[in-house]
Amino acid sequence: MADVLTRADDRPSAGAAPRPPGAVPDPPPRWRLTARRGRSGTNTLARRVLDWTLIGLIVALTVLALVAPLLAPHDPVQPVGPPKLPPFSDGFLLGTDQIGRDTFSRVLVGLRTSWLLSIAVTAVGLVMGSLVGVVAGVAGGWVDSVLMRTTEVFLALPSMLVAVAVAAALGPGLFNTFLAVSIVWWPYYARIVRGEVRAIMARPHVEAARMAGVGRARLVRRHVLPGVVPTAIVTASLDIGNVVMVLASLSFLGLGQPAPAPELGADTSRALVEILDAWWIPLVPGVAVMLLSLLSNLAGDALRHRIAHRR
Amino acid sequence: MDVAVPPSTKTPPDPGPVRTADPVARLQGLDVSLERNGVRSPILHGVDLEVGRGEIVGVVGESGSGKSVMSMAMLGLLPESSRPRIDGTLEVAGMDLRTAPPARLREARRSRLGVVFQDPMTSLNPTMLVGRQVAEKAGSPQEAVRLMRAVGIPQPERRYRSYPHELSGGLRQRVMIAMALAGRPELVVADEPTTALDVTVQAQILRLLADMRDEIGCSVVMITHDLGVAAQVADRIAVMYRGRIVETGTTRQVLEHPQHPYTLGLLGSRLSLDSDRSRPLWSLPAEAAGTAGAASGGCAFASRCRFAVEACAEGVPTLDEVAAGDGHAEHRAACFESGRVGDRGVSRTLLDPLPPLPDHGRGAPLIQAAELECTFQVRDEHGRRARLGALRGVTFDLQPGESVAVVGESGSGKSTLLRVAGHLEKRFTGSVRGPRGTDIQMVFQDAGSSLTPWMTVREVLHERLPRGTDRAEKESRARAILDRVGLPPAVLDAIPGELSGGQRQRVVLARATIVPPRVLLCDEPTSALDVSVAANVLNLINEMRRELGIAVMFVTHDLAVARIVGDRIAVMYLGRIVEVGRAEDVIARPQHPYTRNLVAAVPRPGTIVEPLPGEPASALDPPTGCAFHPRCPVAVPECSSTVVGIQLTAVDGRSTADVARRHEVACLRRGEI
Repeated sequence: MADVLTRADDRPSAGAAPRPPGAVPDPPPRWRLTARRGRSGTNTLARRVLDWTLIGLIVALTVLALVAPLLAPHDPVQPVGPPKLPPFSDGFLLGTDQIGRDTFSRVLVGLRTSWLLSIAVTAVGLVMGSLVGVVAGVAGGWVDSVLMRTTEVFLALPSMLVAVAVAAALGPGLFNTFLAVSIVWWPYYARIVRGEVRAIMARPHVEAARMAGVGRARLVRRHVLPGVVPTAIVTASLDIGNVVMVLASLSFLGLGQPAPAPELGADTSRALVEILDAWWIPLVPGVAVMLLSLLSNLAGDALRHRIAHRR
Repeated sequence: MDVAVPPSTKTPPDPGPVRTADPVARLQGLDVSLERNGVRSPILHGVDLEVGRGEIVGVVGESGSGKSVMSMAMLGLLPESSRPRIDGTLEVAGMDLRTAPPARLREARRSRLGVVFQDPMTSLNPTMLVGRQVAEKAGSPQEAVRLMRAVGIPQPERRYRSYPHELSGGLRQRVMIAMALAGRPELVVADEPTTALDVTVQAQILRLLADMRDEIGCSVVMITHDLGVAAQVADRIAVMYRGRIVETGTTRQVLEHPQHPYTLGLLGSRLSLDSDRSRPLWSLPAEAAGTAGAASGGCAFASRCRFAVEACAEGVPTLDEVAAGDGHAEHRAACFESGRVGDRGVSRTLLDPLPPLPDHGRGAPLIQAAELECTFQVRDEHGRRARLGALRGVTFDLQPGESVAVVGESGSGKSTLLRVAGHLEKRFTGSVRGPRGTDIQMVFQDAGSSLTPWMTVREVLHERLPRGTDRAEKESRARAILDRVGLPPAVLDAIPGELSGGQRQRVVLARATIVPPRVLLCDEPTSALDVSVAANVLNLINEMRRELGIAVMFVTHDLAVARIVGDRIAVMYLGRIVEVGRAEDVIARPQHPYTRNLVAAVPRPGTIVEPLPGEPASALDPPTGCAFHPRCPVAVPECSSTVVGIQLTAVDGRSTADVARRHEVACLRRGEI
């Protein structure tokens, strides 16, 4: 467990400090047919059980997020009880907020927004980044230079700041936040995918395939891309925790959904004034964000393990 | 090698193989099992081995025989992470390695054991001066320098301050040996010490190991896959198969009267310069797919054995003494039928001759390359820019249907020549004419990395067939070619990771020939394979080229292999062809001093070849004139002259228009010697 925790902490959390340009995660796991020793640690039964539990939890969380409105015991937007009830009050598991809305329902629905949005941002970043990365890696030459220099310009900008600027310019709203974060998120994937494509293109099997008369399109599709997929997936799954944090930070700064909608970051920030009076109101959504980010990081690591130890 | 005996020791070195009652290492009934991914698999089964004082024991086995695990066990170096379980007796240098505390083990490794690994680049610390690494074990810089001098490192004081990457492979291996010998060890374990080295350097290192034994009297356990290497220096040989010792005896007994069919097979598939070229090589049947690790009950070798009887499937034969002629040393073999094997001995049944070569007439050459120069920008060991002349004026042609073997040491430019011929290398000057596209196919050295790891064999074969071919036909052609290369159709659904090295090389051959090309380029296709498997692959290349009329260009470092596949042999040295001619001519009457040395360096059992001095000069800074002159025994001053162009010239002035019969040599002193 210890190494999992340090691994999760390895990456600077994007919420606290934007990724410095050049920050690269663990060396990408390659497509491996035999288990390797060392980096991925041991492949004991306990480890396998733990990994699958974590992956199962994150899947369960996704399902939970999808059906959250059905599960919420109360309307998350309307006041339903006395204000500032502490957690474990009768009928209100996590208490109520400053105007008497059910915190549990708000967290549940807020979790849905945060998590699904994070998945969407990561997916878009992954697809866009991969597209740019594959084109740059395969084409090489000036195409590569142009695409990669552009990517580096994006990487050099503090991503949080750019996201804030874009979100502020477009105005608050779910879709605008999504757009803002997606715009700053793809360059990271572009670089990783491009590196991986270059590495695979340099491997002898690509030369051998070329020699065997395989056309360019098929070469990329069948001989190069399948080798990139595991890396891309694992990078994304390790990265999604950062997206959660960035989205929560934007929402905390008031750049998420407008007021009545339940959102974890915004709820924390709005209730911050109450912290001396009723500490649980800002704390509960804040802790929810933390747990969400932690779980997605751990699950990403578990997935990485499973891919490295396949077969 | 003047100072190998430190003054503190008065006892004279123990020369020769004297077996004493007090062995340096004693393994008895040794079982070792290792765990991987939570699955425990037995690696060694009841290994009995004794190493006497001052004895060199050659442990011979193919990949997966457990020979490396055994050597690691003898050093107490089995990785903790694989949770080794060791049963039986394992006594080395007077202590029981199974129970010895780690501190004592370390002490023993420092002062009483030595080890030489296969790849000195990875086993030396790249961030540390080599001298300091030797001194770490030797105790003092002075002692380190003395040892480095003793192992034949020129200018040891200067080399002391080198980093490993600044040394050549041969020198690095000498540094490893110096480290191994520090502290006058009782036992040196050498795990494939010469496999990564060039032929001429290999001979030097073998000689060094034998000399060292003579001088300081240490025992040597020499692990190797090559019976010929073991035969050159070992006093006794133990042959391993699947974690068991199947035969052991003196080198002579094992080589001359092999009693186990596996030893017989290994001997048979060894190539020498007298192997019969007109017949397929005698080889062990390939291992049946999926039997790896499934040694259930019977003799593990039974499935490949020509002598197998029913008893073989039921019980594991024990390592018993066989009736041997000279009774003073034990000759043991683990075979129920060893009597029959012994009788068959060397008089093997002859295989049917290969089909005759189809006659292609003497038309226009298929590939014609003239004045090829190929220079790469690289960085030398100090990080400075340097120009590496991989090819320095090569003129070469390949006739239709003929096969040419290109022989050379690493850095000779032989692979570059092949890549230029295959249009894989574009940075050259000069002219190449020849087929392009899929008319020219290539078999790479490492079949594993030349197959796309996630594609099934079916996909790999299908994509070579013309687009629009209908699926059923693709399938039937794929099956046909697999059958041709001797693989079952079940392989179609396998990915490369599931196949053995030999099977992968067959798949690569199948891919290259499913649509017969006009030229097949082979880049050391057998050097990564076990001997018995390599013979199979060579046979296959030979048969297919005859059946399909494919011209073959075959790059190898091994003259014996070149002789088997090549109608003609071209010998390269530092980017130039120094001799070219019919295989018979080049082997029987080598004209260039370098070729002569290569011919002499082909290992013959029982003799250590007189090694060529020095190592191949660096291609970054080739000597002037004839690049070979610094190592040449017959060089005269003119050889280094830049003015005298050293051109390929017909031997004895017998110039002939027929390329296939021409014998040319690039040597100033041709004809004189």
